[in-house]
Amino acid sequence: MRKSIYTYAILLAMPVVAMLTSCEPRGLKEDDVFVQEGSLDEILKAENPEGYKIYSLNEFLDTYMTEKGNFASDTCPYRDRSYDSKHDLYMFTVDTLPTKGSGIYIRGRVTTDDYAGNFYKAMVIQQIVNGEQQNLRISVDLGSAGGMYQIGQEILIRCNGLAVGRYANQPQLCVPSYNNNIYAMNASQKVGWAPGRIESSVFQRVTRMIGTPDVNKLQYDTLTLSQLYAEIPLVAVPDAAGMDKIRKADGRLVVIKGVWFTGEFDNNGTLAKCDTLHPDSSSNANVFAPTTNNVGYPQSRVISDGTNKLMCSNSEYSKFAYYYLPGADRHGVTECPNWRGSVTGILGWYEDKASDLADGKQKGYEWSVTPRGIPGIGVADVNMKNDLGESWVPKEFDPKDY
Amino acid sequence: MFVLTLSVAMMAQTSLKGRVVADNTGTPVVGAKVTLANQDISTTTNATGEFTLLYLEAMDEEVLVEADGFIAALELINLQADRTNVMNDVLLQPDIVAQAQDEILLNLTEEEMTDDEGRSQSQASSSSASTDVFNSNTSFAWSTARYRNRGYQSNVENYYIEGLNFSSQERGQFNYSAMGGLNDASRYKEVLNPMEATNFTFGGIGQSTNYLMGASRYAQGWKVGAAGTNRNYKARVNATYSSGVMPSGWAVTAQLAYRFSPYVDNKGIIGEGIKYYSLGYFLTAEKIWDNKRLKLITFGAPTERGQNAAVTQEVYDLTGSNNYNPYWGYQDGKVRNSRIVKSYDPTVIATFEYKIDEQQWLKVAAGYHYSWYSNSALNFYNAPDPRPDYYRNLPSFMWDGQIANPNNVNSADLLFEADGKTHYPWGLFIGEDMNGKSLGSGFIGNDGNLVGPSVNKEQYNNLVDLWKNRDNNTTQINWDNIYAANYANNINNPDGAARYILERRHNDIQEANASFNYVNTKYNHLKMTLGVEGKYSQGIHYKTIDDLLGGNQWIDIDAFADRDIKELASNSGFTQEDIANVRKNEIADDYDNVVKANGRRFGYDYRINMANAKAWFQNEWTFNEVDLYYALAFEYNSMQRTTNMLNGRAWYLTKIADEKTYNNSWIYYGKDAYKTIKAAEAAGKLRAGTTYVGEAHYFLDPAFKFGAIYKINGRNRLKLNALAETRAPYARDAYISQRVHDAVVKNIYTHDNAKSLVDFYAASEKIVSADLTYEFNYPIVRGRITGFFTQSWNGTELNGYYDDEARTFVNQAMTGIDKRYMGVEAAASVKMGTYFTLTGVASVGDYRYTSDAIAVQSAENGMPMTQDMTTKALVFETTDKVLLKGLKLSTGPQVNASLKLSFFHPKMWFADITVSYHDWNYLSVAPSRRMQGLFTGTRLDGTAVNGWFGDDNANAIETSDGMVLLQPTINEDGSVNYNNAVLDANGVPVLKYPYNIMTMQESLAATNPLNRFLIDASVGKLIYLPNRQSVSINLSVTNLGNNTHFKTGGYQQARLPRAVRQGEKDYQNSVITANAWKYPSKYYYAWGVNFFLTVTYKF
Repeated sequence: MRKSIYTYAILLAMPVVAMLTSCEPRGLKEDDVFVQEGSLDEILKAENPEGYKIYSLNEFLDTYMTEKGNFASDTCPYRDRSYDSKHDLYMFTVDTLPTKGSGIYIRGRVTTDDYAGNFYKAMVIQQIVNGEQQNLRISVDLGSAGGMYQIGQEILIRCNGLAVGRYANQPQLCVPSYNNNIYAMNASQKVGWAPGRIESSVFQRVTRMIGTPDVNKLQYDTLTLSQLYAEIPLVAVPDAAGMDKIRKADGRLVVIKGVWFTGEFDNNGTLAKCDTLHPDSSSNANVFAPTTNNVGYPQSRVISDGTNKLMCSNSEYSKFAYYYLPGADRHGVTECPNWRGSVTGILGWYEDKASDLADGKQKGYEWSVTPRGIPGIGVADVNMKNDLGESWVPKEFDPKDY
Repeated sequence: MFVLTLSVAMMAQTSLKGRVVADNTGTPVVGAKVTLANQDISTTTNATGEFTLLYLEAMDEEVLVEADGFIAALELINLQADRTNVMNDVLLQPDIVAQAQDEILLNLTEEEMTDDEGRSQSQASSSSASTDVFNSNTSFAWSTARYRNRGYQSNVENYYIEGLNFSSQERGQFNYSAMGGLNDASRYKEVLNPMEATNFTFGGIGQSTNYLMGASRYAQGWKVGAAGTNRNYKARVNATYSSGVMPSGWAVTAQLAYRFSPYVDNKGIIGEGIKYYSLGYFLTAEKIWDNKRLKLITFGAPTERGQNAAVTQEVYDLTGSNNYNPYWGYQDGKVRNSRIVKSYDPTVIATFEYKIDEQQWLKVAAGYHYSWYSNSALNFYNAPDPRPDYYRNLPSFMWDGQIANPNNVNSADLLFEADGKTHYPWGLFIGEDMNGKSLGSGFIGNDGNLVGPSVNKEQYNNLVDLWKNRDNNTTQINWDNIYAANYANNINNPDGAARYILERRHNDIQEANASFNYVNTKYNHLKMTLGVEGKYSQGIHYKTIDDLLGGNQWIDIDAFADRDIKELASNSGFTQEDIANVRKNEIADDYDNVVKANGRRFGYDYRINMANAKAWFQNEWTFNEVDLYYALAFEYNSMQRTTNMLNGRAWYLTKIADEKTYNNSWIYYGKDAYKTIKAAEAAGKLRAGTTYVGEAHYFLDPAFKFGAIYKINGRNRLKLNALAETRAPYARDAYISQRVHDAVVKNIYTHDNAKSLVDFYAASEKIVSADLTYEFNYPIVRGRITGFFTQSWNGTELNGYYDDEARTFVNQAMTGIDKRYMGVEAAASVKMGTYFTLTGVASVGDYRYTSDAIAVQSAENGMPMTQDMTTKALVFETTDKVLLKGLKLSTGPQVNASLKLSFFHPKMWFADITVSYHDWNYLSVAPSRRMQGLFTGTRLDGTAVNGWFGDDNANAIETSDGMVLLQPTINEDGSVNYNNAVLDANGVPVLKYPYNIMTMQESLAATNPLNRFLIDASVGKLIYLPNRQSVSINLSVTNLGNNTHFKTGGYQQARLPRAVRQGEKDYQNSVITANAWKYPSKYYYAWGVNFFLTVTYKF
């Protein structure tokens, strides 16, 4: 039957059409998703009809971060205890950046990794200028941000509309955020504007990845504690130059060599010995970060070269929080020379009470180094050896011993 | 007009013979219902379209002829006494409107399947029974509103194909995608109202549908068609060939149907981000010889289609469209949807019918069906959540912490009240800080909503703008970033898990079924039917990798367990190293948990084996004034889980149980598997791919129904139906965490632990139901009115959700759920002159929970649920009451009414317009939000809840002796509910039902009553061509008024907003915060105006 020929043709054509039309877009290649250095200028010119500038990190802070910030008002002030009138000191500030006009860019390589849990919704980028490190913290509301912006990845951020500020004196790229956490310890002292986390979708929209990550391009400054304290003030001098020096040193990627854990912690400005209790019940247990009962402050554990001391700062939420300090076990802490070596990490200076600084209440324990992990968990930043030359193998606290 | 009849004086009785054929083609119409209106006697036509009615009274009679796909015909006849009256052939006109509507309905039902396992959030009923005025005028007209017959869930409806049960044994639902686009395969069906006597199964409280696919039903010839639509797919072409019954006795029908849509990236239109490809085939052959009949049927429809998701009202408002779809993004400049369903349901059926003699016939049928059903989804490990509509990515997240404490609500001067926008119920921003300092003025955001002064205005508006402008990187999946994360990871961590993968979740079903039916009419007035059914199903569940998205490999570990491992170790008294296995989805000594592209199954790989047997017996008595029937059924069900993977969480839970020397520590494996695993573990010989067989569970369920028809006269009758039955829980609700372990909810028994047969009945839902119908049938007007009542007790339901108090994924097993369904259905169809018919239908119901439920919560990975405040002991399982009593069921609108005006011109013009009104439609409640402990501070098991609605300083309602009962809560509209507390006889606080609870159940009905109306219209034309050829054209327009405010369904998110109270230990630190709408409800909306245009050419 002639007319059925058409029908047969239609029937045969249908599966062919199906096969031809139902495929997904092709898979993306590296070149598709990472911006190449060479094409950067072209892209940024197109994005910024009024021109653009890529600031070095220090230049960026010098240009946009002011002493008092430009955001808070009398009716809606910064958090209460961040200001001290004696030296007109602001520990918490926010400076918003212009939304319009020419493009304000910064770039740097990610030095942090949040896998082990010591960094949470925060990262640090590093830029090498004339062989010297410049660093900046970035506060971003992105869980597991290290899965997207990985260690060694160079990123370029368009900062227009964002803010730069100081959180407990630590400079960071941020947005203004009003703290109204009524469940916090001393909540009424913490209420007010503060640098807050950049919304994840906003951050992803303004951030480009330049090339693929390369951890070998990260610069580590290897120092003894004496060398470190020769460069930075052990006790801050609350004048403009002194504060600037501290702020620019914050975020630096360092290897502190020739140190060991003393088994001590910072007990409100004095050092005290860790105990051997269960880390669920004692905040002073001899592990990296026992419980804070969910207050969440970083636990400090002392490293020393025999002369100087520095805090090694760790989160109770980190994966290695309940691992014994090198040289520590169920029975206590054995000090040097059993385990000594280096602690790598991000250098920080944290002070959220302006009055302490103004009143000279500092004990010199405001500086800390935050490792990104320990051997076997994240980046192996704590490396110790004993007299026999054996490497330190992290050992976990065992509840059965208690 | 009287039709001339040829009277043959052969017998001394009055009878009527005739034949029903399709107009123009002259093809016999099989299965048409022929009714004599005055005598209230009916029969159906046989394979050659013929019918015979015996033992009639001589009189003037109206012969009503109804058949699927045809317009009903009414003929007048003068029946002469004591002879066989022979009618002229009854010519039926095809109802092209109904045919098109059936097709739309079938597709709608398929597209509605939204979740992983093809379960719909709000599936429409797809059956229409053309012979019932109510059903034929509601199934399509009310489908947009997701009306559900009598408020039942779809799993109480029985779906059969040629007498074989095709409802899923795991979930009880029918898989429409098996017949995707095959409008001819699904054309003929018998649909029985709830509880009525049926001849293919026992039936139940829901409708019973039996699809009839015998080839002899199809008119001889070719049919080719094309359709265009703006729904999820855009076009369809199809072709059907039917041989008709050939001289050899064989009849063959074949259909191919192809539906397609390329990816759509026009934002805001229906089907945004969706592609659709489906090729359906249907082949049926029938041989008729002597008094025997053999049917062979096969069909299937390989389909690939994109999905969309329900989102929160905020997202709908920001994007300005009900069609926003968060599942897609641009890849290489082209649309890519992360959720692609692939389904294919090859089915084969064979039936044999044997007419033993004029009074006995039997039918045996056997079928086999394999259902491949899978959908893809993004999974991620140590990487940011890629969903664009994740709550943290939305502007409203900036409000978190800035919402006022509801208990300060009386101090109105401290607050900024919302501007009356009802769909932003979160409303109350803080106006002063906790030190009492005023924060100044709020501002109106770019989305027109008032925002509090402590929200960062610029950031807020910036984000709103990105959403409003549909910025690709903000509102869609960012495939570039996903690939970049994986490539970066390949460099930094080449042996590690990819950060993102596209996984494919398979939920296959393999089933074989058989049935035997025997009918005997030997005895006067009595029809006896005996049926036996058997079915064996396997639900097959596993995951594979669809696309590594540039990553090197995937490591098969569970992200939740991995994250919680420190706490899991601490809680159990082990080290993290001791329990490193807990995170593995498969533990085997010879397996490294590395999965490559196109590699092995991962995540989970288990089967649920289900056997079902049912025997039923039915007697139907027919007398002059009264018909009676009663039927008895007995059903057996069993289910047994087998797994090919020893899951790390099952291993962990068993390890803990062993450690504590529980005597039932085997429950997570099953007894035999426990021994096998323990031995293999000890020998270091746990092998990948070993099948571990879990416990078998048994259920026995009786059922009884009866009914009576009282024929007042030929035109008026009363019908009564009643039923009592028990129903075993579906596997979906029986296993607490079937992907992980073998444990089942309470009251489900194995051979070993059942003490008597009664135990096999303990877990079943008990149901009684009855309905009473008055039916009338006049030449001008016909219709019915029915009152129905159903009560069920002891239902079981399982939920899984992320619990912010336990901070992990929790399974919640609810038992003891009682429900009541009562209401009235009414329909009347009035002929208005030659061309017009006016039909009114209405259904007003009240479908609600009549009890609270008992819920047991346990963490999927074995985390503690809470901690005893006094002893500090960890509590791994909490039991609480879920305050459901009085709440409405969320099974579609409970008030429905429509008025339809139809036009039919004998020159074959068709048109109709329907206006429908729907109301009393309620949001599905999340049980986690209705736990008694949230209102009283104490769970049923006596454990304390950390943080209720409100905070520590709330003005709690106290009894005279200082016992805190309830604290104020905020209603959805922002007003305060003080939850008037009363004490029951035992002194336990209870809530007044239904008002307090009811005021907190959200209505889905649009605020403006005008937006509760929907208008549909269609117009069609059938053109007859020479040589029995014809062309039909039909245009159906749904939601003609473009009502974009019509919510069709939705659900409350189970998560509750909580905050950590600093300085408190562990489980005592979590409190509910004032931002009660941090995780707002998600909704589905009806599509705006949409059309379906079909053209069919028959030759």
